[in-house]
Amino acid sequence: MQKILVVEDNETLREELKILLENAGYEVALVRDFSNVGKQMADAGSDLVLLDINLPGTNGEVLLQDFRKEKDTPVIMLTSRTGKMDEVLSMSFGADDYIMKPYNPTILLLRISAVLKRGLRKEQTRHYHDVEVSLTKGSLTRGDKEQILTKNEMIIFELLLEQQGEIVSRDELMTTLWDNDEFLNDNALSVNISRLRGKLADLGIEDGIETRKKQGYVLK
Amino acid sequence: MTFRNYVKDYMGMGIINGVILIMILIFLRAFRVEESAVFVVIALYVAAVMLSLLWDYFRKKKFFDHLLVSLEELDKKYLVSEMIATPGFYEGDILTEVLAECDKSMAEQVADYRRQNQMFREYIETWVHEAKIPIASLRLMCHNHPDLDAKMISQLKLLDDNINNVLFYARSENAQKDYLIKEISLKKVFHEVAMNNRVIFQLMGASIDAKNLDISVLTDEKWLEFMMGQIIANSVKYCDANRKLELSVWGEEASDKVLLHIHDNGIGIPASDLPRVFEKTFTGENGRKGAASTGMGLYIVKNLCDKLGHGIHILSKEGKYTEVVLTFFKNDFYKMKH
Repeated sequence: MQKILVVEDNETLREELKILLENAGYEVALVRDFSNVGKQMADAGSDLVLLDINLPGTNGEVLLQDFRKEKDTPVIMLTSRTGKMDEVLSMSFGADDYIMKPYNPTILLLRISAVLKRGLRKEQTRHYHDVEVSLTKGSLTRGDKEQILTKNEMIIFELLLEQQGEIVSRDELMTTLWDNDEFLNDNALSVNISRLRGKLADLGIEDGIETRKKQGYVLK
Repeated sequence: MTFRNYVKDYMGMGIINGVILIMILIFLRAFRVEESAVFVVIALYVAAVMLSLLWDYFRKKKFFDHLLVSLEELDKKYLVSEMIATPGFYEGDILTEVLAECDKSMAEQVADYRRQNQMFREYIETWVHEAKIPIASLRLMCHNHPDLDAKMISQLKLLDDNINNVLFYARSENAQKDYLIKEISLKKVFHEVAMNNRVIFQLMGASIDAKNLDISVLTDEKWLEFMMGQIIANSVKYCDANRKLELSVWGEEASDKVLLHIHDNGIGIPASDLPRVFEKTFTGENGRKGAASTGMGLYIVKNLCDKLGHGIHILSKEGKYTEVVLTFFKNDFYKMKH
């Protein structure tokens, strides 16, 4: 399990972040004592740090600068400042990404997984049961049958595949699609899902995508 | 300063001189002074009075005419005390002193208000950042408890937007200190705005059509994001209850400029209101009919466009559509520098 260190001085926000991240399957460590944050960051041994910019007695940019001298653990800055200058500054101090409060939780999770995945090389072909999924060609192949997916269908399928066996909410699907500049509405999402079902059925996989009422979809 | 008005002002002195002259005449008569001598005395007396009046008139005229011309020419009238010439006569000295004193006192007063204004503005900024923390917590809570309604999230979003407006208004007044002009892709900015509004669009069942946005323009990213956010917030606010919102956003590139069109199928703006939509606190027909309106949104947007050197105009047909067009001019000077 990947471990995330949260450095945020507001207690309510910190605890909610913890719930959010734990629900998403991460191990979470919190900084509660702000007298020696730098040392706690260095000793935590986490895979990623969420770092607030405004902290009591110090600030995130300075901490980040010191932290970078020792470690290259990915860092995402959290802040309520709206100036883009902060972004430029944080990036130059070595932050991997930057999110403004009040952040959209789904986007926050997307960014975290993107930053964590960055180091790992993305495989261009994956497997779903005995189906070969080619991300570059945008196709599903099973035996001698091949189905070409549209960009939208591929985004949906990829997300479902990453969390195979778990419920993926419509909200998560929508956020991911929109994050890829595909501005679908609810109807269009349903249409895309049913087309994807049709294509899976053509490959001989019936009921690959199961609907969980009011929760989302599960890829079996 | 005219001689007539000047003489009128000295009528009192004229009367006193006249009375004394008559008394001198009576006196001279009583001593049986010769006619010609009396005539000379009268002539000398009148000449003395007239000459002193003329001398006084011209030295004052020189001072006051200079003062009035300066006042006329000045853009900021209160600066006239800086322009004043040395009067060289007593009343003028008093006037100069009084003006200088007034000027100083006013400058102090203005500086005081400016300081208060600045402090208030800084307080607002801090306050906004403080207010964002509970909003962030609430958003996470909504997410962590999926049984809560999406409507709550959209209300939170509205609250957050309104708070942002305060921040941007407080800043837009001296936006020039807060610029970072560089080449920005319209696609990236629209992406941010769309992501910000996703939940509301989804609840409304809106359809979004974004085309040809892969164009770079020279602007400040966060201000453009704010402006587009405002324009789209209007599309959301003034959508037609009888049909689903359809929003089209597209870019258009010409040789010397880039146009960004934001088109909705909302209730539109009455032709009579159209010329006034950029006025401060103007709410118009639509503001009175439906959604709460402060009349500030488009005013701030226009203000920012002027400061950033962008153009903005609105096309609309009541009951059919509203289309806002932003114009970004290409400026080779900026490009050369980067």
